Amino acid sequence: MRRGKQMLNELDAEIHEHIERETQDNIERGMTPGEARYAAVRKFGNVTRVKEDTRDVWRIAWAEDLWQDIRYGLRMLRNSPGFAGVAVLTLALGIGANTAIFSLINGVMLRSLPVEKPSELVVLRWNARKGPRFNGYMSSGDCRDNLRLGGANPTGCSFSEPILREVRNSNQFSGVAAFANSGPLSLTGNGPASMISGQLVSGDFFHTLGLKAVAGRMLDLSDDSPTAPSVAVLNYGYWQSSFGGARDAVGRTIELNGVAFTIVGVVEQRFTGVTPGSDYDVWMPLAAGRRINNPRFWDNREDNVAFWWLTILGRLKPETPMLQAQAAVSGMFRNEMLHGSVPLFDAGGRMPGPPEPRGGGGPASRQMVMGGPPPAGARAVPLPSSGGAQASVIVGGPMPPPAGGPGPGRIQAVPEPTAPGQAPPEAANEPRTLSRPDDEPTVTLVNAQTGLTGSRGQFANPLYVLMLAVGIILLIACSNVAGLMLARAAARQKEMAVRLALGAGRMRILRQLLTESLLLAATGGILGIVFASWGSHAIVSFVSNNQPRPLTFATGLDLRVLGFTAAISPFTGILFGLAPAFRSLRVDLTHALKEGFSAATKISGGGGRRFGIGNALVVTQVALAIVVLVGAGLLVRTLQNLRSIDVGFDAHNLVIFGINPSLAGYKDAQIRSFYRDLQGRLTETPGVKSASYSMVPLLSGALMATLFHWPGTPQDRQSESDVLEVGPNFFSTMEIPFVAGRNFTASDYEIAAQATNPAPPTVATPVIVDQAFVAKFLAKENPVGKRFGQSEASQDGPASPGYEIIGVVRDTKYDSLRRAISPMMYTPQAFPGASFEVRTAGDPQALVPAIRKVVAEINPNLPLRNVTTESQQIDRLLFQERLVARLSVFLGLLALALACIGLYGLLAYEVARRTREIGIRSALGAQRGDVLRLVLKQGLSLSIVGAAAGIGVALGVTRYLKSMLYDVSAYDPITIVVVSALLVLVALAACLIPAQRATNVDPMVALRYE
Amino acid sequence: MSTKEERERVELLQGTLDLLILRTLLLGPAHGHAIAKTIEFNSDEVLQVEQGSLYPALHRLIKRRWISVEEGTSENNRRAKFYRLTSKGRRQLKVETGKWDKLAGAIARILRPAE
Repeated sequence: MRRGKQMLNELDAEIHEHIERETQDNIERGMTPGEARYAAVRKFGNVTRVKEDTRDVWRIAWAEDLWQDIRYGLRMLRNSPGFAGVAVLTLALGIGANTAIFSLINGVMLRSLPVEKPSELVVLRWNARKGPRFNGYMSSGDCRDNLRLGGANPTGCSFSEPILREVRNSNQFSGVAAFANSGPLSLTGNGPASMISGQLVSGDFFHTLGLKAVAGRMLDLSDDSPTAPSVAVLNYGYWQSSFGGARDAVGRTIELNGVAFTIVGVVEQRFTGVTPGSDYDVWMPLAAGRRINNPRFWDNREDNVAFWWLTILGRLKPETPMLQAQAAVSGMFRNEMLHGSVPLFDAGGRMPGPPEPRGGGGPASRQMVMGGPPPAGARAVPLPSSGGAQASVIVGGPMPPPAGGPGPGRIQAVPEPTAPGQAPPEAANEPRTLSRPDDEPTVTLVNAQTGLTGSRGQFANPLYVLMLAVGIILLIACSNVAGLMLARAAARQKEMAVRLALGAGRMRILRQLLTESLLLAATGGILGIVFASWGSHAIVSFVSNNQPRPLTFATGLDLRVLGFTAAISPFTGILFGLAPAFRSLRVDLTHALKEGFSAATKISGGGGRRFGIGNALVVTQVALAIVVLVGAGLLVRTLQNLRSIDVGFDAHNLVIFGINPSLAGYKDAQIRSFYRDLQGRLTETPGVKSASYSMVPLLSGALMATLFHWPGTPQDRQSESDVLEVGPNFFSTMEIPFVAGRNFTASDYEIAAQATNPAPPTVATPVIVDQAFVAKFLAKENPVGKRFGQSEASQDGPASPGYEIIGVVRDTKYDSLRRAISPMMYTPQAFPGASFEVRTAGDPQALVPAIRKVVAEINPNLPLRNVTTESQQIDRLLFQERLVARLSVFLGLLALALACIGLYGLLAYEVARRTREIGIRSALGAQRGDVLRLVLKQGLSLSIVGAAAGIGVALGVTRYLKSMLYDVSAYDPITIVVVSALLVLVALAACLIPAQRATNVDPMVALRYE
Repeated sequence: MSTKEERERVELLQGTLDLLILRTLLLGPAHGHAIAKTIEFNSDEVLQVEQGSLYPALHRLIKRRWISVEEGTSENNRRAKFYRLTSKGRRQLKVETGKWDKLAGAIARILRPAE
């Protein structure tokens, strides 16, 4: 290389020498000195090119050119900071928004399961034409179940423990793992009592998932036996936060729901739960489930083929194809479903726990349904399965709190297409089976990555909508920059012509232009990454502020996303750099040079096309911006509608907290007196107006429903109503007015309490219903005193006196704001777990310490959970809507801003190009107003055409938003009008600046210009 | 100006310039202008070399180490750069000449099969 440098240094002299000699030769041949020199130069050829070519010989490939291009490009950009600034900012915003949203999507939707070789892992899913006849069904909420009331083709991922054993014995998998939620856990023995989240896992769970212990050991099969000592494994994060990461935590004993557990290990950090977004503090063997839950509600899950509560994972053997394993498991499952006999509810010995007919008067076949992860944190509230009747206790999605927000699809239940009395007569004599052959029960194996949706499910739709929005923004940004580049290329026409004339190679110029675009893209990309990291921090902190526990996914930027951005910015660069570059090279040199700047005017004659492209780009941008804005508008309207809903009670100044004295060992009567005591003390607390409690708080995402027989309907017909157990003064505390009848009295609570006794109830349970209930079932009949839900003793359960309506209250929303108000009945609270509602005179938050103190005075070992206010709870319920509305508004405004920058850029360029024309017009007597109109007309017509096109596209696209909207049509005219008006106004503002500039054109200067 | 009619001149085939330079330098070291002149003269001025294109070619050959360069004084006592064939260049010349003969022979046979 040094050799080359040296050679090149003397090249000039050498060439000069060469030409001298040639000239000399020519003179010797008899030419005049002038002729001789001319001939010599001609013969030598293009000196510049020779030098270039010679230099090229020594160049290490293109590196030097590149460096030169970059330096030149930087100089050019520095010379036009306005253009560079706008282009870089536009790109940065586009790339930043994309990276932030894609980071979020990647974190939530695409991240692979935190286990070894996740691709081998499958989750078992059952399907059938009609729901199997469960005695109980619990979904862990990790995968989508579909068990709507009597719906066709139900499906789900929960199985019974006997099935788990068969799957394990089938030898189709190299490993099997099963898990279920533990129910609420109160931890003592490590500081003050606290509520934690736990998961019950099979002994082979960690082994199958390939997870290692950071300290101690993982569980193994020997831990998962009824006789094994109680052991638990800790989450790494929980170990750090609650045990300070101490090594000696392993071996320590903690108490969970009053049962001593030995900590045997801590799982590796990456694993917080098998489902994305799930986060458990402890894992315990399945066998420990019975010990930490009230055995009465536990049933005989270990052996009951009709109690489905386990999600099963299998690790495929490398040599067994998935379909083969599926066929084997499915066949085995079908066999069990069709031929295995189901223990009847009253099959005495097999059902431990006294078959206590309870449940508000124990109407036959009472079904409890509970929706989505009660953000009230209620993880699986262990619902009493009424020993009698085939009560199916469905506790839905007790996802751990991270799922916190609105539940992943409500879990629904009532797997009883065949109503109790409906079973074919002969069935009474035959052993009952779970399914009949024509139900076609099958099992499919679903890749765990796609099958275990968990709380991802609820985020999927909004995320895809946001992804679409940011995609559009990137498109706008790119076309914006393309427009800028085009305008600039036109302005540089002359420069290019000069360079071409001076002998620059076309490829070289092309490369130079591309380098400039890439430079812009790279700068934009880097700035974009900065924006993206701000953006995703903002999103994550917004998300975390609205979750009871920090979100375990979507934390910041991801390397792969950075890669995506890194790829997309050069791609954008090439995309928007190439077209103008090619255009620049198709210049008629002579024209461009001869006519100087005025060539631009000439070119624009033949260049009507370029003008056309600029216009088309702006129209496209405006149209795309309208699409994003309309979407954002609809989502904002949805949020407004949800916020302004009349929930039916006063949601202000209401503190809510959950408490479950049974976890601290209180028994039936003690629990009731504890509640009365606490209610009394709370009411006397200064600042508290009144206090009451209910099984779950309203608007917490939790929902219960029940089935009963309504008199006058066919015997086998079941009617459904929502149901909520409430304490005394519930209605006055919540400010739900009575429409008719009376409130519950002490004796009503006695009746309800009796129903929990082993003896069958004899008196109808008093219930208070809402107006929707009256409207649906009673029409004009006087509701007060009406009795329903009675049943005779049968194989399904003992006789039940049913319910009696004692009052009617106003309608309220129950679990969520979106769900329509349904028939609802309130029954006197008899269930051991409850949430208190405390009506305060002033700021509810300020009373929380006082409330904690009151509880601690009664029993310091009783943890409160999910202490919040009703308004916070509603905010949390609307979390997703708020997140999406906020982000989409931001993106909408971004799109608007970008489109207007595009419009501004085009007009500014037009004005500059037409300076001379405008000067002539002014000289010929055009007034300022005329000139202003000239520019504004173009801008406005572009934005109106764009808006019209955008509305057309929006009308076609918004229907995909339908599932996210509430009380607003996807074609909402108000949104469309407001959004279009906003756009035209902003566009007008963007046009004004260049228009103003046009009016300031001094005719004299303009005419003299070039 | 050349004495030959323009239409009798032949453009140099791509890549053959290197061969001609090597062949010229076989006679002894020469400076750039002399090389150009020699090629023109020896080809009866049929071959038209755009003299400038000589320099990239010379540098290419230096880079490949087929020729070397040295300072010298020219016939009229001016300092000049003299190019000299290296032994590597000499070997290369043989290879290239062989290739050229084959190519020329083949083309000739195709164009004038009768002769």
